[in-house]
Amino acid sequence: MSRGRSRWACAAVVALVLACLGNGPAHALDWPVASRIVTGTFGEGRGDHFHDGIDIGGGSQEVRPVLAGELVFRYDEGADYTSLPRGVGSFVVLRHEQHIRTLYAHLQAGSLGPVRARWEPSDRIGIIGETGHASGPHLHFAVFDEEAGSTVNPLEFLPPVPDRQAPVIRRLFARVGERRVALEDGAALQAGRTEILAEVYDLREDVAFRWPLAPAAVSLSLDGAEVSRISFDSLQVQQGRSVLGGSLRSRDQVWDDAGLLVCGSVILSRGESLVRLAARDLAGNEAVRTVSISIHP
Amino acid sequence: MGRLKERRVAFPGRKKRPARVLLAAIVVIVFYFFLFPYPLGREIVVRPRWAVALPQPGSALIPSPAAVAGPQDPAGKGPAAAFQIGDRFGYVRGDGTLLYTGRAVYRVSLSSTGFVSFTRLGTDWILQDSAGRRVAGFSVAGYPLLSPDGGRVFSVKTDLSGIIEMDRGGAVLWDRDFPSLMTSISVQGDLVLVGLLNGAMILLDRHGSPLLEHAPAGSRIPVVMGDAAAPDGSRVAAVCGIDPQYLAVLRRSGSGYEPETQESLPTSFRREVRMGFSPDSRYLFLEGTDGPGLFDPAARTLRWVGLSGPLVGAAFASAGRVAAFASRDAGGARLVLEPMSGVPVGREAFPAREVFLGTIEGQLLLGWDGEIARIDVEAM
Repeated sequence: MSRGRSRWACAAVVALVLACLGNGPAHALDWPVASRIVTGTFGEGRGDHFHDGIDIGGGSQEVRPVLAGELVFRYDEGADYTSLPRGVGSFVVLRHEQHIRTLYAHLQAGSLGPVRARWEPSDRIGIIGETGHASGPHLHFAVFDEEAGSTVNPLEFLPPVPDRQAPVIRRLFARVGERRVALEDGAALQAGRTEILAEVYDLREDVAFRWPLAPAAVSLSLDGAEVSRISFDSLQVQQGRSVLGGSLRSRDQVWDDAGLLVCGSVILSRGESLVRLAARDLAGNEAVRTVSISIHP
Repeated sequence: MGRLKERRVAFPGRKKRPARVLLAAIVVIVFYFFLFPYPLGREIVVRPRWAVALPQPGSALIPSPAAVAGPQDPAGKGPAAAFQIGDRFGYVRGDGTLLYTGRAVYRVSLSSTGFVSFTRLGTDWILQDSAGRRVAGFSVAGYPLLSPDGGRVFSVKTDLSGIIEMDRGGAVLWDRDFPSLMTSISVQGDLVLVGLLNGAMILLDRHGSPLLEHAPAGSRIPVVMGDAAAPDGSRVAAVCGIDPQYLAVLRRSGSGYEPETQESLPTSFRREVRMGFSPDSRYLFLEGTDGPGLFDPAARTLRWVGLSGPLVGAAFASAGRVAAFASRDAGGARLVLEPMSGVPVGREAFPAREVFLGTIEGQLLLGWDGEIARIDVEAM
């Protein structure tokens, strides 16, 4: 088994570990805030990096540990020394059993609780703020698996929030040289290897306007055979690059400069073909888009 | 009275003997110093050279009295030193001439030759020189970090997952992600030393390739609390772990580095600690609970300098012979001067909300609230 696959397996094991830590098998962690408004999801493209956690809005809420744990590291913006600029603003990292660490970032400066080792779920870590690189008050919450050396999607371990909306697959494109060609039924493409891109996103349940979030997984098929699958469930570093667990794709292999999802490459042969893209969210809602295309030599 | 007379008569010999003994002792002591002379250490003299009040932002720069007589051209007048006192920052020359002062809108990344003042959400930075002139522009997603000499420009990813080095044209030279959150960084010459939340320290070369990946063992909780690379690259060090906390020092060996010391510390920090090497790379200071520690890697000795309050500044003056430390708490600021061998030269407490400690021309640069001063420390 390769090192990458081994780490992927470890990341999968963390799900079991986290499930064992919690009170019930359905969710291992408690929400760190009372009002569960998810404004950013795991794996989104954030300029030069993947979003390695989730963003939780809801204004100046009190933030509490998702599990009992021990303080490992903290930074109070404006008070503590730092040798590097910290875009996460004021933050706290706790360590829990089974080598799980959790990060609570963008807390209000000066709101961090006292410096002490032990923290219980009823303790107040701090208050949601917008310190660091934040365009509004929110909590950036991340879960690290020390042993696997990976970061996992927190939503897989938090109690689910209501979600009845399927992800949206708005547009499909084929990359032809430097150009992007819209994929509609009857579109004509040349034979050969072609990259398929999509404007695909999940939606916030609590707002009426479009607030795009990353889906949980995307699958690309050609003529009924799956050719690519991207799961936003864990991140790990391989050879100095952060990659998604499973597909081992780096950010620029998953998100292009325009924010389109790079779904994968297909090898087109002469004739008619069906390109199928399926996207699902963590609640199991699924959206499917199928396009019939003509391939010329 | 009669009884006193009787006593004097009863002990006539004892009255003269102490005087003889005392005289003999004095003679012996005097001769001892002549026979076995011991050279006294060099006396440390502290001389305040000048103090300059920082002008209010937007007002014209006010040259120091020493600088009035000289030309005002900021170029070609010797090196300037960067300072930052709270959100005020700037550059000053050894004679007290202020080259530039500014106020950081959000944060500022300083080097000895230039700075980037950036906003919280800013993706466009401007690198300015020590006189405030535009040098280069960058359009990036991260926060700026400059090497001490300003020769290298980095973008720190805002989630602390990695760093990117760019050239002056904004082109990416290398881009590296880390398997855990960055907790500390030290840039010296070609070296970039990164401390991680998972307890590993990673040393990168000029091209961003790892020269060293080391995770000191022995602590219940692995984590790096601070790191430092020596200016000459001969050593790298980190304060790491919880329960216990260690000072780990690695020494260059061939093309790599090997562990030299792992010293148990009486501290239990859970935040980044200040640490750094002296300019000659001989000594290392590190923040402690009741004052900084001075570590001599060659002798493997660590001694603590008593200083209350969190450490807010450290500098080495007089060719590295004297370390200066500043702390600040609710009671005000404190400054201590500590020779690398000997007892503290001086301690001073003074009221200040913000304190800065740096060096200029090998001497101390002390800033507090709205003033900046040069203090020369000389061994006579």
